[in-house]
Amino acid sequence: MYDAPNLETRVTQTNTKITARGVQVFYGEKQALQDVNVDILDNTVTAFIGPSGCGKSTFLRCLNRMNDTISSARVEGEILLDGENIYDKRVDPVQLRAKVGMVFQKPNPFPKSIYDNVAYGPKIHGLTRSKAELDQIVEESLRKAALWNEVKDRLGEAGTGLSGGQQQRLCIARAVATAPEVLLMDEPCSALDPIATAQVEELIDELRASFSVVIVTHSMQQAARVSQKTAFFHLGHLVEYGDTSHIFTNPSDPRTESYITGRIG
Amino acid sequence: MTDATSSQVPAATPAPARSSLLTQSALMKKRNAAEARFKAYGLAAICISLSVLAIMLWTIFSDGVSAFKQASLTFPVTLDAETLDPKGNRDRAEMMRVTTIGYTKLLNAQLLAHLEERGISTEGVSDKDVAAFISRDTPARLRDMVLEQPALLGQTIEVSGFATGRIDGYIKGRVTRDTAERDTNISVAQLDLADRMKDEGILASTFNWGFLTNPDASDQRPEAAGLGVALIGSAYMMALVVVMVLPLGVAASIYLEEFAPRNRWTDLIEVNISNLAAVPSIVYGILGLAIFINFAKFPQSSPLVGALVLTLMTLPTIIIATRAAIRAVPPSIRDAALGVGASKMQTVFHHVLPLAAPGILTGTILGLASALGETAPLLLIGMVAFVANYPAGPLDGGVLDPATALPVQVYSWASRSDPAFIERSAGAIIVLLAFLVTMNIIAIILRRKFERRW
Repeated sequence: MYDAPNLETRVTQTNTKITARGVQVFYGEKQALQDVNVDILDNTVTAFIGPSGCGKSTFLRCLNRMNDTISSARVEGEILLDGENIYDKRVDPVQLRAKVGMVFQKPNPFPKSIYDNVAYGPKIHGLTRSKAELDQIVEESLRKAALWNEVKDRLGEAGTGLSGGQQQRLCIARAVATAPEVLLMDEPCSALDPIATAQVEELIDELRASFSVVIVTHSMQQAARVSQKTAFFHLGHLVEYGDTSHIFTNPSDPRTESYITGRIG
Repeated sequence: MTDATSSQVPAATPAPARSSLLTQSALMKKRNAAEARFKAYGLAAICISLSVLAIMLWTIFSDGVSAFKQASLTFPVTLDAETLDPKGNRDRAEMMRVTTIGYTKLLNAQLLAHLEERGISTEGVSDKDVAAFISRDTPARLRDMVLEQPALLGQTIEVSGFATGRIDGYIKGRVTRDTAERDTNISVAQLDLADRMKDEGILASTFNWGFLTNPDASDQRPEAAGLGVALIGSAYMMALVVVMVLPLGVAASIYLEEFAPRNRWTDLIEVNISNLAAVPSIVYGILGLAIFINFAKFPQSSPLVGALVLTLMTLPTIIIATRAAIRAVPPSIRDAALGVGASKMQTVFHHVLPLAAPGILTGTILGLASALGETAPLLLIGMVAFVANYPAGPLDGGVLDPATALPVQVYSWASRSDPAFIERSAGAIIVLLAFLVTMNIIAIILRRKFERRW
């Protein structure tokens, strides 16, 4: 197994990037999330852990309003990104998603070339004025996603032809290319083998320098390895939120302790 | 767990005797027999459908291939200026006064003279019966030719014209001496004469382009009837249907599938679209008659009205196929596009539509193929009429001119009495089948070409 003693797990940041206050999410009549309050820091990896169906992915999808695409979903409370409520009527979710990028559980590259996969975001947001600039963004993004060396000679080939781990890094490169401020990752390694997982985890730590990263994971080892802050969700509640080292060594809530020691979940 | 306990306590439930793998248990035999039976049923079903298809194709081809060949008479004709232009001034208006009857007489006389010259005996055949060899189509064509080029008058030219339907049938084997004895329209002596003329090269059977280009012809001259007007009418209709149905169908499907809110109204619309796809096509014909002809006063028998009716008929099919194709695009692609900040519209047009394109194209082409073969609604809007004139070009308002369509032509020929029309009817089916096969092949090629994996 991959071991990562070299990854930074101490909290070094204090700037709040996202503030959630009293967030409630309903799917139709069913309440999926109750009264979540959390402050997510800039340039920090925040991990959401918890058993299946606890609402961690739901909360993640609230942060870039992907829940809007589910017609029965309803979100209450407020989520501030740099002090601005993203659920304000004036906010266009499309514009928000350019600032809050997302990487999904299953690698989902577009059935287009590697280059087009990465270039798509910058193109539709009009981030570049020339082909040269676009080339540069593509290269930088692929470098950030630690994929450049593997694909630089075959940018014209289909993104779907890559291996699973490469596809997921391509998706990360695609998310990075739009220059987001926050990167949301919904179990990004669940479909990957241990080696690819290790690569992606290393990448997440590097990405922390440029973005605030929020990662949902089922693996507590992964949360312990890559994150500085951890939030534990259980049955739609945010049970505990704090420094990763603190949560994993000295949890204050008995439910957190039970989950971490494998008694619930 | 229970298994483990029972094996530990053999006294409570004795373990079954271990059976050999080399002998089949009774249950296994039954299961294998059931599987073998099912395979046999499936194979039988396929064999039956294939043989029915083979019989159908064989009947159509054995009846219809002969429609593409046509017997014609070739003999020299001296265009007598005295009879064809009595005033002698080569004035078109004056020459028009000589009707086809005048030309018929001329041709009859010339044919008799030619037979005599070549020493072919017309024994037992009256002059009138010899004249009956020449199709009524030939004098009309000769007259048109002479009116077009008056300089031909006085010259001797080689005229090649259709032989009448029964002589043609004799060459093709449809008319035999047996049937001729019972047929008042033809005698055995005439058939003997036909044999002699064939030996001398006056009568010959050649590939008949006229079958594909000529307009329909009356009952008196089946040999001249062709699919020209029907082909043009079908082509106009298909072009119009594509232009109307594709944008409508695709736009409706995208809206319903991607943008429309899920509520009682969209449910109602969905149910109705599914029901419309099952409405008998003749109902669309009644609708077209009421709306487009009686209310909107569009011209009857016109490809425009036909295309409108076929569009209405195909629309539900295409909407259903397109929605299925759009739904088959994995949601992860939509998430990916929305995740990088694409708008709903960009998601649909950049990612969903290209992936759904093969399905949409196949659905559309198959919908068009069914529209091409549709007869019933066209009968009601008057496209079954006898149309002897070609519609104008597409830019000259040809879609408003009376026309007919391939399947309707099949229907109208099949209902005529002369067996020569039955042959032509089968020939028209072959042409129709050729179009359908072509369209299906295009659908397959497009699907292969655009199909992508993700």
